[in-house]
Amino acid sequence: MSAFLLSVVGQIETADFPEFDNIYCKYCFAYGTDWDITSGLEEGISQVAKRNDIDERPFIWNFPLEISFRGTNPHGWPQLILSAYGLDVFGNDVARGYGLCHIPITAGHWKKSIAMFVPESSSTLQKITSWITGRRPEYIDPRVLAQGEGREVTRVRSQGKVFVTFNVMTKDFTSNSLDNSQQPIIATGSLCNSMGSLSLK
Amino acid sequence: MAELYIIGQIVGAKNFPHNSLFCKWAAHTGPGWKLIEGLKEGQTQVDNPSYDEITYWCHPIDIHYATKGIPGWPKIHLQVYHFDSFGRSEICAYGYTFIPTTPGTHEVECHTWKPVGSLIDKFRHYFVGGGPQLRENDIIYNGFNRYRLTTEPMGTVIMEFNLIQKNFKKFGVETY
Repeated sequence: MSAFLLSVVGQIETADFPEFDNIYCKYCFAYGTDWDITSGLEEGISQVAKRNDIDERPFIWNFPLEISFRGTNPHGWPQLILSAYGLDVFGNDVARGYGLCHIPITAGHWKKSIAMFVPESSSTLQKITSWITGRRPEYIDPRVLAQGEGREVTRVRSQGKVFVTFNVMTKDFTSNSLDNSQQPIIATGSLCNSMGSLSLK
Repeated sequence: MAELYIIGQIVGAKNFPHNSLFCKWAAHTGPGWKLIEGLKEGQTQVDNPSYDEITYWCHPIDIHYATKGIPGWPKIHLQVYHFDSFGRSEICAYGYTFIPTTPGTHEVECHTWKPVGSLIDKFRHYFVGGGPQLRENDIIYNGFNRYRLTTEPMGTVIMEFNLIQKNFKKFGVETY
């Protein structure tokens, strides 16, 4: 298979973390061995965004993402990994959330909301010591999240969301006989519609 | 051979009666399908949400299959477990979903269920935990042998699948 290209322009727009006052965000990408970056920044770090207390607007980063990938195999499709940090009352840098998503596979404009979670101490004793020392559990390399294994031992707490927009362009997928087109979801009949709105508890 | 790339995420779960959930998942195919790369089973993290009512797992899936035919189209089966305050994990729900057959991005909701036992089982479940569970997991994703089972509804598991198909057109298979 010859190479195909995936180009993304977009931004890490806003975030919602109800419990915190200031947050900044790092991003990086994880991708398989058959992928390379041809242009753009692989890692970035945003400004510290503060909350607006008056009308409770979200944290706004408005942070640009601009990157192009060259791949020879869709397996190992690039994933965007976000890590959000903030300062606590003692001035310590504390992880406020980690999140990840795949870059959309189809060309077009995409909006994604990414859940952000932090790892938790596994025992009560560790919880107390981490509260005293101000060192809370965090991932040394958040790229481990992009792997499908090794996460079954972690306990996490989800405490926020980040909203990202992607504008995706692809090249040479069709000539490699790869079909990544987006098809409309068909739902016919009133029964389908009522099924969708059934709330199952 | 036609090829199918399944790229996605087990996003999370909603409407479950408990928090602290995790999920074991596995992909199944018929005998004509060959796994080329990727993991076909896994276990997610345990999430105790404080943001909203949704448990987030954000567990990536990236599977590459090659196939000679359509029969045995891949499906994913799920077993949701609850991690209780004593550190025990017990089965909370079962469910399965087929991988969509059209390329592109799909958000799939899998409604899950749990077997119910007799009144004594319910009584025991209330005081000591545990409950009836399936002895063989193939009941989750096979249609036969389900007729003697009584179940109750559990929550919904949310998944995102991004599908890329290769050479389906070349072999005359119309997927849309």
